[in-house]
Amino acid sequence: MNEMVRGFLDARLNADVSRRRFIQGAAGLASLSVLGAATGASAAETPKLGGQLNFLGWDGEHGGNVAKPFLEKNGIQLQASFQSAADEALTRFNTGGRGAMDLLTPNKDFQRAILASNVELFQPLDLARIPTAEGLFPAFKGAPWLVRDGKTYGIPIIWGDEPCVFNPTKWDKMPARYTDFADPKYKGQLVLLDDPFGNIWLYAVSLGMKEPSRLTAAELEQVIEAMLKMKPNVVTIGASHGDMADVLIRGDASIGIGGWAYQTLIAKEKGVKLVVGSPEVDGTFFWSDAYAIAADAPNLDNAYAFIDFMTSAQSNAALAKELGSGCTVEAAYDLLDPGLRDLYPYDNVRKPGGGILGTQIVVPPQEADGDVVGAPAWVEAWQTFKAS
Amino acid sequence: MLSLFVLSFWRAKGFELIPDFTLANYEKAVVSKLYRTLLVRTVLVGFVTAAIVVPIAFALSYAMRFVFERRGQLILQLVLLSLFSGYLVRIYAWRTILGKQGLLNSTLQWLGLINEPLEFLIYSNIAVVITLSGLLLPLAVLPIYSALLNVSRDQMEAARDLGAGRVHLIRTILLPLAMPGVRTAFAFAFLLAAGDFVTPTLVGGTQSLLIGNIIADQFRGIGSNWPLGAALAFVTIAIVLVIYLAVVQILARVTR
Repeated sequence: MNEMVRGFLDARLNADVSRRRFIQGAAGLASLSVLGAATGASAAETPKLGGQLNFLGWDGEHGGNVAKPFLEKNGIQLQASFQSAADEALTRFNTGGRGAMDLLTPNKDFQRAILASNVELFQPLDLARIPTAEGLFPAFKGAPWLVRDGKTYGIPIIWGDEPCVFNPTKWDKMPARYTDFADPKYKGQLVLLDDPFGNIWLYAVSLGMKEPSRLTAAELEQVIEAMLKMKPNVVTIGASHGDMADVLIRGDASIGIGGWAYQTLIAKEKGVKLVVGSPEVDGTFFWSDAYAIAADAPNLDNAYAFIDFMTSAQSNAALAKELGSGCTVEAAYDLLDPGLRDLYPYDNVRKPGGGILGTQIVVPPQEADGDVVGAPAWVEAWQTFKAS
Repeated sequence: MLSLFVLSFWRAKGFELIPDFTLANYEKAVVSKLYRTLLVRTVLVGFVTAAIVVPIAFALSYAMRFVFERRGQLILQLVLLSLFSGYLVRIYAWRTILGKQGLLNSTLQWLGLINEPLEFLIYSNIAVVITLSGLLLPLAVLPIYSALLNVSRDQMEAARDLGAGRVHLIRTILLPLAMPGVRTAFAFAFLLAAGDFVTPTLVGGTQSLLIGNIIADQFRGIGSNWPLGAALAFVTIAIVLVIYLAVVQILARVTR
């Protein structure tokens, strides 16, 4: 019954609003130039390749264009399906997907939560089978959100941050704090992203809360009160980063909070100038997605070879370009166009141990933990904000 | 549908769904002020949209059937042409028309009728109703026009010969004969508008959240609650169905 319910709902609620889908078509062909060099670096050294490889992850991270030569050369048929929410892989895994899923692309906070909760979804990786992972930036080697009991469960593919994106003809710079956006001078100028965790977390930081991802009910209420002061200035809440970019490009708003640096390039193509710049005091948060292998994956050889291929400098650069994101492989940095390279603060990933990506936890605990409220309370608080 | 109904009695705990038989989800759906507010707003938006769409669709169908009879099929094809583009594309098209720097505001400014863009045209309840009306009009025209095709010109002329005025003719002859089509058109407009969550997301701004948005939120992402979402969906279906049946009864009495 559970499986039937999941299947029924999956079919109807998987409308994807991710940043990846928005640019996939446009950027797909562009990646081919970088790709040319990648084909020579195939990791098809294992003799057992061929057959199926099942992918469930964020749209675009299956490397449709980037991986094509590798897949063709090795006779691998990639069966890709895309998730619309971070926990969808777990849902499918628990409802009949176990034993039929190979590759997953969890984001950092979801993978951290799964590993911390001891819920079974990923299998530990044999790093000897992914030699290209040696080339990762220091922050991504043994990053804390990917490691449990000394074993590594993921290889980062891309990363980025969620800064403010604004129209420089209207604003010189962003205010010092997110709470400053309550100033009436921003009336009719703001667009937010429909993301309960990112927005609440940013405001909790802005209010000086010590553990912004672990809020009590009173603290959560305080955050929502502060956000409601800013709400009269909000034009709309974008369904995705692509939708936010559209609102900014049309001139319906001039500041996107929790934006995406790649929006500036999308706008540039449309003849509109947008720039990034987060509140100086509060800053912003960082995300990263990784390749992981599902427990009981049926096509292990294909999965390892795929990850190894995609973690080569050329593939990683091509994927970063296609998805408008930061690359995770040090040598890939030099292969990127300066325009894309300058979008992300690479200093953060040159530090070992995950850097700021390792210390920042944006998502709250899934369930209440003592006085600390769980994720459902954040979602409800965000809905209250949207409905008020 | 049955699966969703069963799910509405379950519980969500962390990343898991727990089979159960609890009414807690229904209790929350009914008691919560947030959900009640959004249910009322949803019904209002659905009703207003249907109240705009059905008369326009009726007038258009009447014109196609009796005024421009020879060009009726051609006009119908033109009306239906919009259905050939994707749903999202049509919503974005409305955003282009209604936006601050959109077609409508630009034209009004060019004509000198306004100095500043009319901001209520986009990211508002008005924008949601306008967009939904535009999206649903072709669907409402189809059943009404189809019903009017079964009304013969002879019946109309006979009524006129017997002294029926235009309003009397429409109310007592035309509407009752076209009622199956009107009922279907109202169902399309009201039920689809009340169930939509994409249009309010894209053109509704910050004051136009509908219950469909909240239901969708319950099915995606960390912190989601599928059983609560299912219960909210069934409460919404029940309320919308009751209102639909009431309106159909009222329409039947008025045109009897």
